[in-house]
Amino acid sequence: MPISLEYKAKNELLQKFPKIETCLKCNTCALVCPVQYAGFSPTNTYVNNIFSTQEPEKNPNIWLCASCHKCEEICPYEVKPLEVIEALKDEAFEKGYAPEAIREEINQVLTTGYAFPIFQSLHFINRERERRGLKPLGERKVGEIKKIAGKTGLENKMAGWKKK
Amino acid sequence: MTKKYAFFRGCFVPVRLPHIEAVAQKVFSDMGISLVNLDDFTCCPEPVGVGINDKMTWLSIAARNLAVAEENGLDIITVCNGCTYTLRHASHALNSNKQLRDKVNGIISDTGHAYKGNAKVSHFLEVLMNDIGTRKMKSAVKYPLSKLTIATHTGCHILSPKEIMEFDNPFDPTTLDELVMILGATPADYDKKTLCCGWALMTYGSREGAYALLKDKLGNMKLAQADCLTVVCPQCFYQFDMGQWIASRKDIPQYNLPVLFYLQLLGLAMGYNLQEIGYDSHKVKNPEFENKIKMR
Repeated sequence: MPISLEYKAKNELLQKFPKIETCLKCNTCALVCPVQYAGFSPTNTYVNNIFSTQEPEKNPNIWLCASCHKCEEICPYEVKPLEVIEALKDEAFEKGYAPEAIREEINQVLTTGYAFPIFQSLHFINRERERRGLKPLGERKVGEIKKIAGKTGLENKMAGWKKK
Repeated sequence: MTKKYAFFRGCFVPVRLPHIEAVAQKVFSDMGISLVNLDDFTCCPEPVGVGINDKMTWLSIAARNLAVAEENGLDIITVCNGCTYTLRHASHALNSNKQLRDKVNGIISDTGHAYKGNAKVSHFLEVLMNDIGTRKMKSAVKYPLSKLTIATHTGCHILSPKEIMEFDNPFDPTTLDELVMILGATPADYDKKTLCCGWALMTYGSREGAYALLKDKLGNMKLAQADCLTVVCPQCFYQFDMGQWIASRKDIPQYNLPVLFYLQLLGLAMGYNLQEIGYDSHKVKNPEFENKIKMR
């Protein structure tokens, strides 16, 4: 079994994803996983690293996964490591362990409608757009996004973290 | 009659790669398809940073974007694998689960929009293949790129999960190679063809990992005699162009492999010059490649 015996929430995780039990550490996923390049090896694969730490939701490596789905598509035992990694990210996000890059990206989407900051450099962006014969960029419908995030509770969550 | 599409530009293309937006407008207009900008569109939202961490908000903002196209009576064309992934995931989830659709419609009701499920989402490659068709594309190719060997990189999020994306085989994608052949060029047969560009590694925590990945991927393209590489997603574009340029200052070989968005190659084959496809905005330039284009 690849999940650490010392991981406190292992029963909940296994209940949600019983297929993890069938992982044989065959390392087939490591052949197609882009995160392998971040210092992992055939004997310490990325998926193994995620599954076997004591508190996987605190493992910063979970954020390296690009959700490319290759691991679940190649796994001979249908373990679907991606579903587990995404569930761990979800849990980590709830508990406030997400890295600044993730939180800031979400903040940008909610406050500007763009996925990254553009307004400080808008002058340069629009000058370049004009050179290409394109119309300038402007504000997006942030009010409507705010209403959505208000209803789903994401806005409150973000405000809570900012206070911390 | 000219077919119209709602042009879902996303964030990356209009902000960081406006020359790709300009090429898309020009190519499709010359092919008889009109791309309409709708001011009401927002970020799709981006799947890896936003999607996974708050699924309901992700689905709801995506549903609002889909509703905007519907209300204008238009289907959507995208120029980004990430936008395609988000919008197609949302339509798939909302069309197959009425309860979820009702819930999401409840969340977006205050915005004045409602999702009905009428707008189809197509990546621009699908519009090229299905609406324009290979025959019309072939006849538009006035200057075949026959001197070029091109490494194709389809990217991840347009391929997987294949049940939802329904685009190509995730482990042996051939569509982009076929489209490269239509231009008269030769697709490079290289190892690690389906390996990710490394954008997420670069953005969310491991720059060194991203450089190692680029070295492997670009090295294999070079081994297969590629003159340039082609992509269909702005993150892949940026990673291979800017990423290659940054990595070249590290301890990795100089590959000098220019990166071309597929629409730029199509433009070149239709007779546009390097200036018209916005090549001057590229970080990685190679005189040998430029000569082969001029001699085409």
